[in-house]
Amino acid sequence: MKRLVRTTLALGAALVLSQSLAVERGGTLVYGRYADSLFLDPVLNDANLDIWILTNLYDTLLQPSANGKGVQPGLASSYTVSSDNKSMKLTLRSGIKFADGSPITAADVKWSLDRARKPDNGDWSGSLASIDNITTSGNTVTLNLKRPDPTLAAALATFNSAIMSQKLFNAAAGKNDAEKAKAFAEKPIGSGPFVLSEWKKGSYMVIKRNPYYWKKGEDGKALPYLDAVRFEIIPDDNTRILKLQAGEIQGAEFIPLARVNELKANPKINMALFPSTQVNFITMNNRPKLKDGSTNPLSDVRVRQALNYATNKDALIQIVTYGVGKPMNSFMSSTTPLFDTSQKGFPYNLDKAKALMAAAGYKNGFEVTSMATSGSANDLAQLTALQQMWAQIGVKLKIEQLDAATKTARYRANDFQMRTGGWTNDINDPSQITTYFAIYATVESLHTGFKSAEIEKLFEQSQSETSRVKRASIYRRIQTLYHEAAPIVYLYETPYPVALAKNVKGFVQIPLGNNIFAATYLDK
Amino acid sequence: MRASYVLKRLLQIIPTFIAVLILVFLLVRLLPGDPASAILGDRATPEIVARKKRELGLDQPLVVQFWIFVQHLVRGDLGESTSLKVPVLRLVGERLPVTLFLSVYASILGVVMAVPLAILAAVRRNTWVDGVIRGLFQIGLSLPVFYVALQLLTLLGAKLQWFPIGGYGDSFGDRLYHLFLPALTLGFNLAAILVRTLRNSILEVLTAEYVEFARSKGLRTRVVLSRHVLRNALISTITLLGLNIGALIGGAVITESVFAIPGVGRLMIDAIFGRDYPVIQGLTLVFAVLVSLVFLMTDLVHARLDPRVEHA
Repeated sequence: MKRLVRTTLALGAALVLSQSLAVERGGTLVYGRYADSLFLDPVLNDANLDIWILTNLYDTLLQPSANGKGVQPGLASSYTVSSDNKSMKLTLRSGIKFADGSPITAADVKWSLDRARKPDNGDWSGSLASIDNITTSGNTVTLNLKRPDPTLAAALATFNSAIMSQKLFNAAAGKNDAEKAKAFAEKPIGSGPFVLSEWKKGSYMVIKRNPYYWKKGEDGKALPYLDAVRFEIIPDDNTRILKLQAGEIQGAEFIPLARVNELKANPKINMALFPSTQVNFITMNNRPKLKDGSTNPLSDVRVRQALNYATNKDALIQIVTYGVGKPMNSFMSSTTPLFDTSQKGFPYNLDKAKALMAAAGYKNGFEVTSMATSGSANDLAQLTALQQMWAQIGVKLKIEQLDAATKTARYRANDFQMRTGGWTNDINDPSQITTYFAIYATVESLHTGFKSAEIEKLFEQSQSETSRVKRASIYRRIQTLYHEAAPIVYLYETPYPVALAKNVKGFVQIPLGNNIFAATYLDK
Repeated sequence: MRASYVLKRLLQIIPTFIAVLILVFLLVRLLPGDPASAILGDRATPEIVARKKRELGLDQPLVVQFWIFVQHLVRGDLGESTSLKVPVLRLVGERLPVTLFLSVYASILGVVMAVPLAILAAVRRNTWVDGVIRGLFQIGLSLPVFYVALQLLTLLGAKLQWFPIGGYGDSFGDRLYHLFLPALTLGFNLAAILVRTLRNSILEVLTAEYVEFARSKGLRTRVVLSRHVLRNALISTITLLGLNIGALIGGAVITESVFAIPGVGRLMIDAIFGRDYPVIQGLTLVFAVLVSLVFLMTDLVHARLDPRVEHA
């Protein structure tokens, strides 16, 4: 018996090994995107459309790990934090080059990070705010800090900390930095696995293999395996799927969840569901009075809890996500670092919901309005299901459909009662989502108006607490406090649905959303 | 045709442009939501939004914004897209040819489908042939463009694989091949509009006195049709086509999304959702110029075919 096990194991290992050695080099992967990138500058961009592609073109000192929970070495082969936690020393790999063949120097690193942390430069400069100054010596870069910063490693692994060539940037056309950035972003040269070769805005983008990329593949030669990736812009969901089925493209992103099961059954297609940091929820206006001066029942914590208990998440997951989601138990996704696995969320409990409503003085319920994005099938399915669920406790839900820009404008003005919402992290650390969800000063806690002195104090502690264990306990408490106050309706987590041709191997979309083509290859 | 007539019609276009300009400038600003918020999404802090607004010049009073817009316009500069950060003129230059190609292609297919069938329906009026033709296009008229597009894609693209799904080709021939399905979609929609009106006007001509006269002279039906009826049918077709240029552009918006064609229709949709003011303004202006030119051309052709028009 033992022998059988051993033989099986050996055979299995041999199989894995032979498979891993069988990576194929060359070829072009055609990938269907729902919309084109807008502006390919790592510092001055604003949209996921750019962020999720940037890491293919630009490399960072550290990189997010594929499971989304930590960081791994990038352009820097190692880093050490001083014993007082007031500085970080990074060692650059030797012989690293930009995609034009020019060397990456410590001076380029300093210049790039200085540009990225300049408060006037972009919306992400805050992630490097703890840096006081940067010094270089040979191939080491030292970041001297104003305060200990446990989020710094994650921040250095985020797109805005990408390393650019100072010389190439300055050589770009334009009178000032803003103009140079625009010119450079049209044809950027970074040090990521690929380099932009052709871009017809709104139509297609071709990125080709960077011959100077440092990372090695399984065959011992430099990555990437592919010669090129061609992104075709196909806004219509059905057309993207049809093109994939016809073999005209080999990958299609943002597959509607309603089509996932159908594509899973297709033998020619690998319907991948990549774990994501996406949480889907309803934000509630927690303020005692609404913008029009009327009283707001949602200001009562018992009402907010009641709505949470009256929400049947499993049913929603079946109806809206066709079974591919999972219940949301914390305001942060289960893929977020320091997510507390002991969080229980709000299990469906109608009796508890009714009791809470009665205790709050709303035995007969009330009427409430939620904003939805017009044209979003998900929003509509979600809210009509909630309409029926909440009717059980007397709450009459009205749906107001608005286009995204109008919805955002109303939300920003705090002129709403409820709205559908979704979130994905951009950085491998729980601080970003916490700032937005629970800290009033940022965006009034997602415009809910929720404020907790205890959470704010704990969060401040967490921002300079470098012990991972202590930080985890702080975040456990924050998640519990947030849950008790229930400023939002917890719904579900969803993965990234990407449909690939069967011969596409090694493609990953990490939980932060970045599309990683570095180790992707086409099996012949 | 007198030159003064052409000149008069050209001059009439100018006030239209000015009106369009002011209207669009004000209308986009009346929409809830501004470019800064649309670009940054609902996460951005008030400071970041304020900084973006400043960067885009949206913190200036409306009058100042309009004055800057007009100044740029005079220099032939339509401004810069707030989301793509490239000049609007360049975007239009890249994308307008695609939409124009598609529209002309669709018009030709539409006319090729509509004219013979309309004549056939008129000649065989109230027979089953007439019924089938009218019924077919009645269905075409009531089907949404996106539905027809998807059905054609599924059948002729994915199932039979006769045509590519999406894309628009590089060379002229390649373009004809790639854009066949979208042009057919739009052309079918156009033909549906044309057939009904054309059939009726042909019927009118067929019963007109001069046709009766021509027939009584002993001319054969085919000769009557080609010499008298077709010429008149052509006049109404061109007028109808001209009047439907708006519908064609509207249809192109949806068709371009379904078939993944990077034309101005899709650009407009993206711009509206992204509250990209310069692109919306610039494109509307370009559309206004185009529609006016098409109307002008329609009038001129009409005048040429029917000299009575010029004096009216």
